Amino acid sequence: MTAELSRRSNNSLATMLFTMLGRSIKRLVPTAIALFILLALWQALCSAPDASLPGPVQVVQDTWELIVDPFYQGEGTDQGLFWQLIASLKRVAVGYTLAAIVGIAVGILIGVSLLMFQALDPIFQVLRTVPPLAWLPIALAAFKDSQPAAIFVIFITAIWPIVINTAVGVQNIPQDYNNVAKVLQLSRMDYFFKVLLPATVPYIFTGLKIAIGLSWLAIVAAEMLTGGVGIGFFIWDAYNSGSNSEVILAIVYVGIVGLLLNAIIGYIASRVVPEEQK
Amino acid sequence: MSAFVEIDHVDQVFPMPNGGKYIALKNITLDIQKGEFITLLGHSGCGKSTLLNIVAGLAKPSAGGVILAGKQVTEPGPDRMVVFQNYSLLPWLTVRENIALAVNRVMRDQSAAERAAIVDQHIDMVKLRPAADKRPGQLSGGMKQRVAIARALSIRPKLLLLDEPFGALDALTRSGLQDQLMQIAQEHQLTCIMVTHDVDEALLLSDRIVMLTNGPESYIGQILDVPFERPRERLEVVNHPSYYAMRTEIVYFLNQQKQAKKRKLVAAEPIARNGLEKVNLDIGFVPLTDCAPLAIAKEKGLFEKYGLEQVTLSREPNWKAIADGITTGRLDAAQMIAGMPLGLTLGMNGKPPVPVVTGLVMSRNGNAITLSKRFYHDGVRTLEDLKEAIARTSDKVPTLAAVHPASMHNLMLRHWLASGGIDPDKDVNIVMIPPPQMAIALKSGTIDGYCVGEPWNSRAVQEGTGFVIATDLDIWSGHLEKVLGVREDWAARYPNTHLALVKALLEACEYCDDRRNREELVEILARPDYVGVDPAYLRPGLVTPYDRGTDAEPEQLLRFNQFYVDRTNCPYRVEGLWIMTQLARWGIAPFPRNWLDILNRTRRVDVFGAAARDLGLPDIEPNRGIVTFADGSVFNPDDPIGYLNNLTIKHDNVRIEEISIDPPVAAITH
Repeated sequence: MTAELSRRSNNSLATMLFTMLGRSIKRLVPTAIALFILLALWQALCSAPDASLPGPVQVVQDTWELIVDPFYQGEGTDQGLFWQLIASLKRVAVGYTLAAIVGIAVGILIGVSLLMFQALDPIFQVLRTVPPLAWLPIALAAFKDSQPAAIFVIFITAIWPIVINTAVGVQNIPQDYNNVAKVLQLSRMDYFFKVLLPATVPYIFTGLKIAIGLSWLAIVAAEMLTGGVGIGFFIWDAYNSGSNSEVILAIVYVGIVGLLLNAIIGYIASRVVPEEQK
Repeated sequence: MSAFVEIDHVDQVFPMPNGGKYIALKNITLDIQKGEFITLLGHSGCGKSTLLNIVAGLAKPSAGGVILAGKQVTEPGPDRMVVFQNYSLLPWLTVRENIALAVNRVMRDQSAAERAAIVDQHIDMVKLRPAADKRPGQLSGGMKQRVAIARALSIRPKLLLLDEPFGALDALTRSGLQDQLMQIAQEHQLTCIMVTHDVDEALLLSDRIVMLTNGPESYIGQILDVPFERPRERLEVVNHPSYYAMRTEIVYFLNQQKQAKKRKLVAAEPIARNGLEKVNLDIGFVPLTDCAPLAIAKEKGLFEKYGLEQVTLSREPNWKAIADGITTGRLDAAQMIAGMPLGLTLGMNGKPPVPVVTGLVMSRNGNAITLSKRFYHDGVRTLEDLKEAIARTSDKVPTLAAVHPASMHNLMLRHWLASGGIDPDKDVNIVMIPPPQMAIALKSGTIDGYCVGEPWNSRAVQEGTGFVIATDLDIWSGHLEKVLGVREDWAARYPNTHLALVKALLEACEYCDDRRNREELVEILARPDYVGVDPAYLRPGLVTPYDRGTDAEPEQLLRFNQFYVDRTNCPYRVEGLWIMTQLARWGIAPFPRNWLDILNRTRRVDVFGAAARDLGLPDIEPNRGIVTFADGSVFNPDDPIGYLNNLTIKHDNVRIEEISIDPPVAAITH
């Protein structure tokens, strides 16, 4: 199922995944067996007539309509799963992009300036421990609308790992490189683009990778509370209407999309991070 | 002519986590000429890379500074390009881009085509054209270092700084690169400073090898001139007749440093009172004008000021009693004649060595050579006259007196006689007499002259029995005279007490040099506790013009008794070295092959420096350099053995040997 989905999304990504799979074919066999046992166990546990959750066969039967027609468009929140996911991904895209831009900038700032680091780092250490959903009421109160509030939650969730990793990256630029820059009296522009940025890129991508995972975690939870089209609200809505099969299907999709997001960032990193620094 | 690079009294002090300070470099002074290749050599941790970073401008010295071509170094700049130990190429740029980054920045007024040409030219120079578009990750260590050298040279630095450039390379690559560097440096007349710990590399490449001692307080221990002709060929250099000797010299230096590192000193005693391990001290002195700092410290309460509550000054009859008092431990510390700590340390006259250290010079000058009035009546006015007079009476050898074999009086009297062609061991007879008995012995005719400190010259002059033929200002103006001596193990057991004592005496020295206090000095010294003589004998030189007892008018000699001014108080190592050559010259003690180690241990410049800093006084050791005497002879501290060998008048058997001053192992285990 994984391979099937990825083939649809991006060709070179699929090739990469395939080569990855090919390389680890031995590792894949146990995974497949484990998956099969898990499904069988699940089926066995839920095959009793009074079981509270449906088994895998039941799930596929119940949600066949949703699986085969992800592009269905109805009224209001009655949309196909593809559109639900797209709606969630759009929010993540906006929030995450904002977090990346602001996070890298702030990270470089506090990485370069010890004063800024001393001023801001303790505050960041406190703020980053606040759970994403705790921001939601404040965001709703401030923006008076659920859409920007959800985006804000993504933003505030994703920004901390980016800021902190970028700052660490800047602080860890090898002294040798800084010495070269000092002796040559490189201009600020040269220093930024020839030394600071290339040296920090691996750290930035570590932050970006952590952040994308967190964003996806946060969006599902946020949407459950804010409503509207989106995979989070879809799950909540399915639960309220008593369709546990739909909930389970949505969870599978959420997991797969999360995996894909991670793979995409990893792929970009592999293209951008200089060979010598991996 | 001023030097191309002047490293001027550079100190580097690092704060330590426990709030203390680590003095990495102390008083580094070095002049480098244009086109010279200098190597800094020493064990790891001796601060040679720190020094290089200071010259590069990457580190700021705590004191002192570096001047390059007349301009002070305040920040790093491309005129002092560094070849770093670990290449420091940017891994995301190709060879060409790495070099271009430097060229484009530094030569930005030239056209892009010109800059590209420069980059290409330097890629070719290090023969890396095939690898020009590769990244450092794809290159070998040797190739990376070639890129680093090409990058450094491409921007035409005034000064090339190399920090162990070939340390990480295999032997074959290393020698290839050394040849290449040598050729490039020769062609472009580069001025280079290189840090290394490879002796052969240093000898092959350098014009001068600067050897740094181990930290803390690293300083320039010795500078070796490498005289091989340029351009050099590796094999010619290795087969040069003096190559082996020079190599041995360097290895010997490094070994000495290594041994010094391993040495364990006695642990310090616990603190007793006032932050000191010991507050009751017995300090010995001999009644002379220059015991003034001790007298002043006692009378003005300076000992108490620094926590030394019960100091007893012990008036000793002669210098031998002082030496015995210190070796037996009867005395904690003593005013000593300058050669005594070194003489005791080396084991003079066949005695076992007792390491004695000096943390303070208490006075300079203050001596004179007095001859019997008989010579004056015979027309003796100068050293030449004296030589003739001695030659005239070949049947009678004049007897001259000094106070102790290791005293400056003995050494300077002999130096003075020898400079006039008089062999002090053959043409005259030199005997040892305690200072207070000099004038009496001269009067009674037992001796015909002497060299001693005041008031014993003025006494003979005023009694009309003698005249002063020379003061030490006429022999070696500003020479050290009296020092503070303590046993090395005493200094190790009571480090804070030692420091307090040096501080108290340093403050006393400053007081003594103020001419407004000189009358008071005379009054105090005249008391029976101290010198115990008529104040009239004490005044000449110290207060009033100095009367030589000749027809000449008395002369005001402002530096006759020097206690503080003109950096009196630092136990300058070069002076200690000269004293050791003289002790050997006259057969009093062997010259130590390990002179650097002996100096390092016995001249406690660090204690003096700490005391001076605590008192807010300058703590600078005088510049290490050539000493010139009044007779025109010179002493080069980089070649003491050569100096000793070149002297014509000396003892028949001048010994040069390794002197171990560490206690035997058995004694430690007891």
